[in-house]
Amino acid sequence: MNLIQNPALLEQLAASYALGTLRGGARRRFEALARNHAEVRAQALIWQGRMASVAELQPQAAPSPVVWQRIENLVKAEKESKAMQAARAPAKADKTWWDSLNLWRGLSSMGAGVAAVALMAGVNLNSVNTKLNGEVQELTAKLSATPEIQYVAVLADDKAAASMLVTFDPKSKRLTLKRVGGFQEQADKSLQLWALPTAGGAKSLGVLGSDAVMRLTAAGSDVNAPTLAISLEPKGGVPSAGGPTGPVLFKGALIETAL
Amino acid sequence: MTSLTPIHPDTTLIALIDRVALADEKALRELYELTSSKLYGVAVRVVTNRQWAEDVLQEAFINIWKIAGDYKATLSPPMAWMALVVRSRGLDFLRRRAVGRADRMQELDDVISDTVAGDAPNPMDVAQASEQAKALHNCLSLLDNKQREVVSLAYMRDMSHGELAVQLKLPLGTVKTWIRRGLEQLRGCMAKLA
Repeated sequence: MNLIQNPALLEQLAASYALGTLRGGARRRFEALARNHAEVRAQALIWQGRMASVAELQPQAAPSPVVWQRIENLVKAEKESKAMQAARAPAKADKTWWDSLNLWRGLSSMGAGVAAVALMAGVNLNSVNTKLNGEVQELTAKLSATPEIQYVAVLADDKAAASMLVTFDPKSKRLTLKRVGGFQEQADKSLQLWALPTAGGAKSLGVLGSDAVMRLTAAGSDVNAPTLAISLEPKGGVPSAGGPTGPVLFKGALIETAL
Repeated sequence: MTSLTPIHPDTTLIALIDRVALADEKALRELYELTSSKLYGVAVRVVTNRQWAEDVLQEAFINIWKIAGDYKATLSPPMAWMALVVRSRGLDFLRRRAVGRADRMQELDDVISDTVAGDAPNPMDVAQASEQAKALHNCLSLLDNKQREVVSLAYMRDMSHGELAVQLKLPLGTVKTWIRRGLEQLRGCMAKLA
């Protein structure tokens, strides 16, 4: 191939290939040559690397701090969604097996504890067992008497069609969101959840991923509001301080329930 | 032209990219703090609009978060790799916008004409650039301003001779000649440095 005998021409072609101005048939012929001749391929790679440095030489400019906020929101949403998937996978497996394993683990460690106490104190094993059983029963009774406080909100659109089910467990600080309508935002948009307190502005509770079910972490003080709302925002959402910038799509009252 | 020792040597950036590959959010934050001004500059250059450039920068960092594990295999200087991610996100952005928008060319037109119109001083910036980029910069400095600007635009916006001629309101032959001569000079200069 005479291109290989003409290094100057080869380099010129490789440079315009990397620049992007070698187009159409000439570009296809050059690519075919590069696939078959290591020297051509090497020149193409060298010039691609050199041209990439053109991008490095552009003057700097300062982006708005909002950009980092949006990146952080998206990264958090992605991490949550991954963690959810990981958590869901073992839960799908044989549940009775999992439960019984946990139960047996609990029993055997309790057994070991009891045995150690018995050995050290030299007390009657039967009386320890009785006492322990009594305590367990008492605790179980106490637990069942204290209702688990939960919050539920059904967020509906302007036609009162339910679109999002939100539950909040203040103990674990977990907000769980379940999409129930068919709404799907465009790829370049994000849904953002807001608490609308009686006094003061809206407080962002987080940005939703595209999953049907997702979880956010929120403190009870943040969720403490009579109403929750979801707005349509640029991808990654907007900072909490400025409040929603896009239209509010879904809204609903937050109701305390004892389950 | 200052040629300061880089404040953030490549090793710092490489270590951060490695940590980002392990889903380390703190490392992503540090990487953003060190590189966002440079990379935002790249985005502004590709899409010519500050608001769009912010969307592009955001997409690029989400992309870097996802593909940081691929960085090592590229054997590129870290800033060059990240700048390329920003450039391709920027080009994607322009393509998406161009769908159903005949006015895109018009929007870009004025900005570009402004940059090439005058014999503007060298707008390139070697801050945080890799050694390779500094070498290229030395060679690009030998070209006259308009030639350098056309080469830089062709690359940053992935434009053909024809598109450049329309955008810069120059005869096609002039664009072709400038680019050919520009590349010839670059080739000679880079050969001496290599």
